[in-house]
Formats: sequence, structure tokens, C-alpha cells
Amino acid sequence: MTVNVTTSLVNSGDEVISLRDVSKTFGGFRAVDDLSFSVREGEIVTLLGQTGAGKTTVLNLIMGTLQPDAGSIRVAGFDPFGQFRDMKGRMAVSFQTDRLLPWRTALENVELGLLILGRPKHEAREVARSWLARVNLAEAESKYAHELSGGMRQRVALARALAVDPKLVLLDESFSQLDHVTSQTLRRDFCELARNLGKTCLMVTHRIDDAIEMADRVIVLGPGARISLEMGLGEARSNEMTREASRKKIEAALGLQEKKQDYQGE
Amino acid sequence: MTRVGNNQAMAASAASKVVGMRRESIWQRAAFRDTGATIIVVAILLLAMEVSSHFVPDYIMPSPVAVAKAAIGLANNDYSHILITLGRLLAAMLFAMVAGVLLGLVMGMSPIFRPFIRSLVIIDTGIPALSWILLAVFWFKNPETRIFFILVMILLPFYALNIYDGIRALPKDLVDMIESFRPSRWQTLRYLILPHIVPYILLTTKSVIGYATRMVIFAELVASAVGVGSRMGLAQSTFHVDQVLAWTFFLVVLNIVMQFLVTGAEKALLKWRPEASVR
Repeated sequence: MTVNVTTSLVNSGDEVISLRDVSKTFGGFRAVDDLSFSVREGEIVTLLGQTGAGKTTVLNLIMGTLQPDAGSIRVAGFDPFGQFRDMKGRMAVSFQTDRLLPWRTALENVELGLLILGRPKHEAREVARSWLARVNLAEAESKYAHELSGGMRQRVALARALAVDPKLVLLDESFSQLDHVTSQTLRRDFCELARNLGKTCLMVTHRIDDAIEMADRVIVLGPGARISLEMGLGEARSNEMTREASRKKIEAALGLQEKKQDYQGE
Repeated sequence: MTRVGNNQAMAASAASKVVGMRRESIWQRAAFRDTGATIIVVAILLLAMEVSSHFVPDYIMPSPVAVAKAAIGLANNDYSHILITLGRLLAAMLFAMVAGVLLGLVMGMSPIFRPFIRSLVIIDTGIPALSWILLAVFWFKNPETRIFFILVMILLPFYALNIYDGIRALPKDLVDMIESFRPSRWQTLRYLILPHIVPYILLTTKSVIGYATRMVIFAELVASAVGVGSRMGLAQSTFHVDQVLAWTFFLVVLNIVMQFLVTGAEKALLKWRPEASVR
């Protein structure tokens, strides 16, 4: 059963992402079952779900690397799979791992998207340099990936994604492989940048903290990527009590409270 | 023990450690060890030659001095043959590298052409070098064309198959990353595939240099009147074993120099790659 609660929350006029009745099956396994939701311009939305809930499949469908079996997907007005190359420069992705090209320096990695967009070399270099400075890595511009720490590499990857000035940024568990302190710092830095620049962001994660600290809205996915909860989080970021209430609701939607009770019962 | 005594003991211990470390570092230094081992091996070979030259005639084993004299004579009068052989080798290797890389790229990037090219390349790997040498003698009049053809047919599959394997080993993570920027095929080739296959090109070149040197000599012996291979054939037919060994010495030096150049290129082109060492 699909719980479609998006219509009331979304003004369809400024939707950057729109999924309508999307399904995707692998062999006999229905990874995404009749999913609908939207993300408005300038919004930071988190897709939260446990492992195997189909979060990454949803992200791949939005990225255009997978074709849906049914339903329609529009990203910035385009069909991301059918109009794959037409979406050049409109979307950038920050992945779970940094995925830096090892033969390029930090600066050259940040340049990459700009060069693919066809920006002149000197201009790409200037923009890349300014982005490295924004993520506090100006000193590391000539270092190769293996010479950087995990947090520094992820910063370079974020700079690479944001440097192309995309309308939409997708984050696939981008902070989950970092230690707690680095992850928290990076989350804050990213949110500040994204909000200042008015970027639309869709973040996939399995960590409730990431969702509460970063997102305007959370969409909790259950098995088959069915929406089990959709909730605004604007107040939760500033109010401790609302934050706790939101956390409990999310935990309930994820079925974590039942598991806690099971453990306590045992 | 007093504090002074303690300090002296510690200083002595530290000094002995430093001396120990120095000794260790000299003996364990790879460059020193490699050079030392090479000198020892060469010395043993020269000694064996010298000893055996006293028991057998000159046309079986000349003394190292005779070989050195022959080498000096050849270096002064016949150096053009070394240059000809080197030119043939470099031209054929360069062409085989470019053509092999192109074929590898087509195999790696075009599912339509892949099975056809792969079949051709695999058939080529099964054809003995001697078959190409004999066929080249029948098919081409010009000795340069013969040798070029022989070497290219022998070396090309190494490059093609290694580059194809290199493209197959491309991490999917990096492909997905670059695809997220929606590049053209040319941009994917330029920013991802070509830099990724550089180590494969260098590794193949390093692996085939020795083989290519042996093959060019063999091809020259059969298919040409000039070049080191043909001169070695002449020396053998006139019982000048000292000259055969002198030419062999030049070929070994040539191979070492070429390996050294490729290693230099590798250091310059792959400076981004961290050096891993296994304990």
C-alpha cells in the first residue's frame, strides 16, 4: 500500500524532484513499490530507511542510472533516464565514499565537473580554487587523494559536487563513513553552504541524527520503499523537545521502538 | 648506578643502536643490495668464462678479454647496426602500443565490435612467432616491412588484451561518479579511461621489452641483411663467437637502458600512486 502524503505538502509549481507511482523490480524482488513524493526548490529532504528499504534504488532512479518499470520521474523538469545527457549541470551527487580520481590532485578533482560542463580551463581552475577555500582546503590543493584524510577527501568531494552550481544535490550517505566528530562538522558545513546557496538537496541516510540535524523534511521508507512517515523537521532543529518527539516518531516509523522493547523483554 | 652512569649507559646504548641502524640501513638498502648482487653475478659469469676459455677452443668460449676487444671493435665500426635494430624496435613497439591501445579501447567500450576484435586478437596470440617470421619473408619484399610486420603482429595482442583488462577493472564507483556529471563519451575517455589505463600501458611495455628485443634479433636473423640479428648470424657462420657474445652484451645493455627509461616514465606518470610495501 502506498501512503501518498506529498500533495498537501508540495506546491507542484516549484517541484525540483517529482516521483509519481514509481515502481522498480529486480528479478522477482519489488525494490520500489508505487512510490510518490516531491521535493520543492530550496528544500533539504532526507530519505530515511533501514538497510534494504530501497533508498539507494530510489536515488539511482532519480540520478537516471536506473529506468523505472512504472510511473514517472521528473527532475528539474527532465526525465533523468530518458534525457540523461540533457541534465548536464543541473544535478550533482555526493556519494557514500569520496570517489576522488586518484590521478588528479584535490584541485583537479574539484575542476572535473566544471571541465565536463565545458567551462574554460582557467575559469574552472579559479572556481575550483575558490571552492577548495570554502571547504577550508586551500592548502591541500596540490595533494593527491591518498595524501588526504577521510574527512578532507569527503570535503573535496562535496566541493566537486557544489562547484558545478547544480540546481539539485543528491547525497548518498555522504557522511556515514566518517567518524562522529568529522561527520557532524561536515554536516553542519554542508547545511550552511546549501542553505546559503539555496540548493535543493535530497539526502539518503539510515542515520536519524543526520536527518534531524540537516533536513527540512524527512521521508521514512519501509520495505519496498513504501512511505511510512513524512514529516517536517524545521522546528526540530532548534527545539530540543520537538527534536526528541520527532526522533521517537521516526524510530516508531522505522520499527526501532518495537525492537528496543523486544530486547528489553529478552 | 648513578644518574651520570645511567646517562652514559643510555648514551652508549643509543650510540650502538645508531651504529646498528647504520649497518642495517646500508645492507638493507634495496639499491645497494641490487647493485651488489648484480656485480657479484657478473663477476661469477666472467670468472666462469675465463676459466672455461682455458679448457676449450676460442670458437666455443673466448675469454672475457677477447669479447671485450670484439665489443670495442664492433662499437667503433658496426654501431650503425645497433641503431638500426633500436630504430626498428622502437618504431614497432610504438605502433603496436598505439594500435593495441586503440583495439583495447574499442574492445572495452564497444559491445558490438568487442567479440570480433577479441576473437582476432586471441587467434593472434596462438600463432607462433616463427609462423609470422616465415610468412613475412613470403609476403613482403622490403626487409623493413617484414621486421615491422613481425614485431607488430607479435606485440600487439599484449597491449590489446591488457588494455581491455584494464578497462574491465575500472572501478564502477568512479564510472558512476563521472556519469553523475553527464559527460560525453569523449569526456569519459579523456578524464577517466585514459588516465586509468596508463599503468596498464607502462606495465605491458615493461613486460614486452625483453621479449621484443629477442624477437627483433630473431626476425633480423631470418629476414634482413642489416641489424644486430643479421650481424650475429654472420658472426656465427664465420666462427666469431667473441662477436656473438659482444653483440649479446650490447643487447643486454640495450634492454637494461630501455627498462630504465620505462621505469623513469613510470615514476613521472604515476607519481599519484602510493607505493605499497609488504612486510
